[in-house]
Amino acid sequence: MTRVESQLAARPAKVQPRKRHRRARLDTPLGRVALQVGSIALLLGVWEAAARFGWISAFLFGSPAGIYESARRSLLDGSLLVDVWTTSFEALLGFVIGTAAGSLAGLALWYSRFVARVVEPLIVAFNSVPKIAFAPVIILWFGTGLLAKVALAVSLTSIVALIAAYQAAKDADPDLQRLALALGATKSQVFRKIIVPASLPAIVACFRINLGFGLVGAVVGEFISSQRGLGHLVFTASSLYDISTVWVGLFVLMAIGFALYFVIDRIERALLPWKLDRGGHDLNV
Amino acid sequence: MTKLSVRDVRKSFTGKSGRTDVLGGLTFDIRDGDFVSIIGPSGCGKSTVFNIIAGLLEPDSGSLVYEGALVEGLRGRVGYMMQKDLLLPWRTVLDNVVLGLELRGVPRKIAVEEAREHLSTYGLAGFEDSYPQALSGGMRQRVALIRTLIVNPDLLLLDEPFSALDYQTRLYLEGVLMEAVENFRKTVVLVTHDIDEAVALSKRVIVLSGRPAGVKAIYDIELAERTPIGARSDPRFAGYFHALCGELDIQTKRGEAA
Ligand SMILES: Nc1ncnc2c1ncn2[C@@H]1O[C@H](COP(=O)(O)OP(=O)(O)O)[C@@H](O)[C@H]1O
Ligand SMILES: [Mg+2]
Repeated sequence: MTRVESQLAARPAKVQPRKRHRRARLDTPLGRVALQVGSIALLLGVWEAAARFGWISAFLFGSPAGIYESARRSLLDGSLLVDVWTTSFEALLGFVIGTAAGSLAGLALWYSRFVARVVEPLIVAFNSVPKIAFAPVIILWFGTGLLAKVALAVSLTSIVALIAAYQAAKDADPDLQRLALALGATKSQVFRKIIVPASLPAIVACFRINLGFGLVGAVVGEFISSQRGLGHLVFTASSLYDISTVWVGLFVLMAIGFALYFVIDRIERALLPWKLDRGGHDLNV
Repeated sequence: MTKLSVRDVRKSFTGKSGRTDVLGGLTFDIRDGDFVSIIGPSGCGKSTVFNIIAGLLEPDSGSLVYEGALVEGLRGRVGYMMQKDLLLPWRTVLDNVVLGLELRGVPRKIAVEEAREHLSTYGLAGFEDSYPQALSGGMRQRVALIRTLIVNPDLLLLDEPFSALDYQTRLYLEGVLMEAVENFRKTVVLVTHDIDEAVALSKRVIVLSGRPAGVKAIYDIELAERTPIGARSDPRFAGYFHALCGELDIQTKRGEAA
């Protein structure tokens, strides 16, 4: 046998069936959760140990035990729930108002090419300003209460939704519009029966992004001026070097975002039943 | 009797690369109950004519006369079918079929009843609640055909409706179309790049010249049978096929291919 031939003959042995099997056993719902929980537990364990044995400064980085203690205290005195409620309410309200208004405005721009052309550069200009920079002005205008946080969240979410919805409406398949027109559709029928449903996937995709922006608006608003809320909690705790409480605030924010993400998932399933089971991630690339 | 006259229609597009004259004074008649195929080099303006007839595009000059009256276009009066099935992915098969009736304000209950009837006639019972993505290409085009027929249009404009399908499915759908056309006495204009299909289905074939398009020739097709398989088996079929290939300057000899 020549060298090439022997190499070719040896090829099949290179496939690694073992590795595949091991992964297949873990790649079940239970296996995946076990892996996720396991890695978090490991991280917390290492963190706790590091803090206890002085490898890292517990004063600067906190420790799981300290965080637990802080969480327990704020849960028992009820202040954590108030903070959670405050921030969630601000974020959700900002998300809903901003996303709804932005999506509707974006879709409406489809109606008039003239208006769209006039407005487009203004939208781009507004979008390129970091909206967080408006925060101090918004607090001046809307005060230190709920309104200012909602306004900040709206300024973030509405522009994202507007751009997404307008782009999607513009991209709607012209052949589908032609078909509807040939069947005798009016402009408003084309809008309702073609443009809106065709844009819906992009709009729903923007829900996910805007959920994050809603929380950003609420928390940054609270950073600047507030009496309660998770942003307030994190901000005051960090100025007091109470790092455990800072962590509590951050973890709770994460949990809120996580929970809302699943709500969006449900909404997506309800709004886009035709999109189900069409993921491309099953492709073996 | 003449159903539709296309009279001296001109159309040009102005794009980045300058002006293109697409239709250069196109004139032809479609008779009542006619089945006319339009063939011509690709890009010569066949879809453009359809868009003008359907009222989706305005001609630069020329006119359309429909049943004796001058019209702007036939929006809402034609059934329009394209190569893409253009089923709305967010609607189930049933809701896709219902679309045209819905746009005309037919009450939902009546529309649904009619759609179910049509679907079962064309062998799609049981697929009412499926989304188009779940169907094969042939089934989707069948749904598109039903959607076109259900609004009972005076004139069917079919723009290469079967060209994306495999040969067997195409023969089958051609049969379905012919049957429907016979049953409902429709007037049909079919654009196709498939000479074979044009000869098999049509009473007349209009050959367009290259851009700017005009009518180059009109052939009356006389075959014993106008069914997808029957026509192709007719001894005269080959003659028409040959003549039309000649009209289109199709060159198959080695070295001459474009
Ligand atoms: N909206 C448009 N704008 C500019 N050019 C167009 C437009 N529609 C069609 N054309 C051009 O007109 C010509 C004819 O197009 P079409 O009618 O689609 O050809 P066919 O259907 O015969 O293949 C092509 O060269 C095409 O590029
Ligand atoms: Mg075409």
